[in-house]
Amino acid sequence: MPEIKVTPLGAGQDVGRSCILVSIGGKNIMLDCGMHMGYNDDRRFPDFSYITQNGRLTDFLDCVIISHFHLDHCGALPFMSEMVGYDGPIYMTHPTKAICPILLEDFRKITVDKKGETNFFTSQMIKDCMKKVVPLNLHQTVQVDDELEIKAYYAGHVLGAAMVHIKVGSESVVYTGDYNMTPDRHLGAAWIDKCRPDILISESTYATTIRDSKRCRERDFLKKVHESIERGGKVLIPVFALGRAQELCILLETFWERMNLKAPIYFSTGLTEKANHYYKLFITWTNQKIRKTFVQRNMFEFKHIKAFDRSYADNPGPMVVFATPGMLHAGQSLQIFKKWAGNEKNMVIMPGYCVQGTIGHKILNGQRKLEMEGRATLDVKLQVEYMSFSAHADAKGIMQLIRMAEPRNMLLVHGEAVKMEFLKGKIEQEFSIDCYMPANGETATVTTNPSVPVDISLNLLKREMALGGPLPDPKKPRTMHGTLIMKENSLKLVSSEQALKELGLNEHQLRFTCRVQLQDPHSDNDTLHRIYTHLKSVLKGYTIQHLPDGTVMVESIVIKVSSSAEDANTKVLLLSWSYQDEDLGSFLSTLLKKGLPSGLC
Amino acid sequence: MQDMQQSEDVLEDWFIESLKTYKDLHVYQLEHPTRVIEWTSGKTVCVAGYSSSKNEILELRLPLKLFADENKGLCAERDFKVVHGGFTDGPVRRLRHVPGTRCVVTNDGLSSDLQVWDLGGDDSDVIRQTGSVKGRRSVSEGGSRVAARLSSRPRVLHGAQSGDVQLTELTSGQPVYKLESDSADPVGSLHFVTDAVFVVGCSNGNVHVADTRTSDAPQLSPPPSGESVTWWTDVSAGPSCLDPSSCRIVRLSSSGLTVISDLRKPGGAVSRAQLDVQTRCCNVDDVRVSWAPSLDDCIAVSGFSGAVQIYDTSVWRAEPEEVRPLFEHRGHAVSSQSDDGVPVFVTSHVWHPERSRTLLSAASDGSVHVWDWVDQSAADG
Repeated sequence: MPEIKVTPLGAGQDVGRSCILVSIGGKNIMLDCGMHMGYNDDRRFPDFSYITQNGRLTDFLDCVIISHFHLDHCGALPFMSEMVGYDGPIYMTHPTKAICPILLEDFRKITVDKKGETNFFTSQMIKDCMKKVVPLNLHQTVQVDDELEIKAYYAGHVLGAAMVHIKVGSESVVYTGDYNMTPDRHLGAAWIDKCRPDILISESTYATTIRDSKRCRERDFLKKVHESIERGGKVLIPVFALGRAQELCILLETFWERMNLKAPIYFSTGLTEKANHYYKLFITWTNQKIRKTFVQRNMFEFKHIKAFDRSYADNPGPMVVFATPGMLHAGQSLQIFKKWAGNEKNMVIMPGYCVQGTIGHKILNGQRKLEMEGRATLDVKLQVEYMSFSAHADAKGIMQLIRMAEPRNMLLVHGEAVKMEFLKGKIEQEFSIDCYMPANGETATVTTNPSVPVDISLNLLKREMALGGPLPDPKKPRTMHGTLIMKENSLKLVSSEQALKELGLNEHQLRFTCRVQLQDPHSDNDTLHRIYTHLKSVLKGYTIQHLPDGTVMVESIVIKVSSSAEDANTKVLLLSWSYQDEDLGSFLSTLLKKGLPSGLC
Repeated sequence: MQDMQQSEDVLEDWFIESLKTYKDLHVYQLEHPTRVIEWTSGKTVCVAGYSSSKNEILELRLPLKLFADENKGLCAERDFKVVHGGFTDGPVRRLRHVPGTRCVVTNDGLSSDLQVWDLGGDDSDVIRQTGSVKGRRSVSEGGSRVAARLSSRPRVLHGAQSGDVQLTELTSGQPVYKLESDSADPVGSLHFVTDAVFVVGCSNGNVHVADTRTSDAPQLSPPPSGESVTWWTDVSAGPSCLDPSSCRIVRLSSSGLTVISDLRKPGGAVSRAQLDVQTRCCNVDDVRVSWAPSLDDCIAVSGFSGAVQIYDTSVWRAEPEEVRPLFEHRGHAVSSQSDDGVPVFVTSHVWHPERSRTLLSAASDGSVHVWDWVDQSAADG
């Protein structure tokens, strides 16, 4: 039976890294290639030994697809392509292609420079890896090769995030990556058409979560900023240049306007430079509706937000500053942090995940004394706030997505099957589809029922119609005979004669003969007649004839009688039938081997 | 389009206002609305659907951020986690957790029978029905109310009418106490005051106080007013109520008249007030009045509209006067997702057992809010 195999790489129960292998129609695809941020050793990389024990992956993979730029989805990509070895195509959307290398380089710098790691990819490797990238546009079908095609759909979540549809022949899989179903202010909600894939692959964590509204998260952000400002404190918001900064700026700008606040808000120059780039990426990525919001609010002409100058950090009084980099690991944001950390009226708001080894990571883990360069210690007295603005789907969202796409099967990764029985039952009940939950390192095999399109020749169709009888319908299919020819990639159903003609073959007839010995003390003719009578009584409904040429015919089967040379009472029956009547023929030979009943006249 | 913009503005206004009026605020959207919210532990609640056929019963863990008191800022977890789930064949109109166990008991609001469920442990996420408890007398509408109290042998107090109330042991299914009364008042709510004393609050305003240690008829008190209205009751019970004589009972009527009485003298009234309830289209079953477990003299009222009101009864007097709520949570009304024109109404609310100003509320549009309100009068004064 045709089947699709899905294996989430990784071991045991660990989540936090996405790397899924899919085998479909003879093709092997890698979905995402994430780094596990919780480990410092080789466990942070996916275990590619599942694909091959040694050597490069190029021969084993037809393509790699990256859903979005978060490190737990693309962090191990340069390791995979340059250190393990893969030279095939890597697909991702345009914004992902633009942002990935920046994040990877930042990550590399922190890991190698700050933590002194050695088994890590280099800057050159990141560049070489990105050369293999083939960018995708939304809703555009891309032929990876003659049989494999892929298409990206809008996923929401972050700039450039895509859900991907993979098709080989009539089998298909949709991988969601990270997505959200409630519209976000700026990114909108994920959307897919009723593509009816054989499998829809998504994260199990979504299905067991009910998310707090975006508005409440924003409220918390505004509340914290406002409280600090009111008590005269300074608020530092370290941001990634091409991420959430713009969205938070708009939020503050609106709030400042509304509340008539006077405290200054600054945006560091590093951000403004990148903002142009981000803006361009964003505008081409989002849809009409979102684009309009941004065109109305020109991102670079905020009334209340001004460009930052490093000297402002020493100004007295409350202020809010957005500065890069996002994890406080270097540059301007770290400089400002050092100046403001000692005052408990101040606050730092971390809007996202911080990699191990960064100051951001340390303070988010509650560290209040930091060791800086030159053995100096920094006392962290300011308030530290961790806020997550990432838009993710939840239990309700996943059901909405299933309703949209109408998959034939559901597959959830990164969950413990034992603890997901309710969820499995819920999906199975509501949609009458199977729900698979492979553990990391385990392969789920999904049997598909692909329909194979076949063209039927007009002649064959006409001939069948001419046979008369009721028209075939789904409840009463009619059997017909024909020959299936596979030519190139198409399948045709034609009559046998046509098939022979097309193939330049002659028709052969197959005839079976069989000899049966009988004891019968009669003349040959009488024996024949007795056989005729016997068969007539046993085979009712069949055409049985006693022909003048001394044979008995049952349908097209010929029976002749002759006497054995040695003994006149031993009769030899010769049965002969064509291949079409094989069943009847072998039935007759078995029947006649039993001899003739004595009561026959 | 105009309406949408207006409601967006109202919502925006409310959120901005909430910066000052709430400490914590969480807004969730369930797939299906619930009429029940019941604590199953200090950090988990159960909710369940009420459609006429199949429904889900869910045990949700509250967001970690709510409980992270010292390091609140470092915790970014704001979501509910579905820890256990199960399926019911009918609507769930009442749900009660049996303290000290992993059992809950449900009633469909139609028959008097109860279903018993096992919420499940760490090794499975399925909530399974393990049995049922038959009502003393069968009814075909109204359904039974349930109460439960921590006891060495798990038992539930249940009944649809005052004369049918009984205390049944769960494991054996045997009744351990039957309330002997000729009355047939429809039960509005049941409340344990102590391990042995309980109160039956009837929707016609009658209150029966019974003691399971005696076979005497329960003490009956008539409704505080002669009007034919519907009454809802709550009895304050908790550490301060070890002595039943220090317990108070609040009775709220559909006309808004609210009466507080001492349990020693339920017929009398300690104080009264006239609440502005604006009864429009409220469903009798969904009105709820509850004493705050750790905020003296405060009650919460919901079910008449899309809001939950908190009242400070310590300022109420003997003669009923119009009173204003100490706080009003309008979150469900302003953020209503209902698009069929039917105004949203609050279906249930519960107080957090320890955090004095934290409540959970649910509404007919499937929303569930967790909110910790600020006492403005205390803040200003």
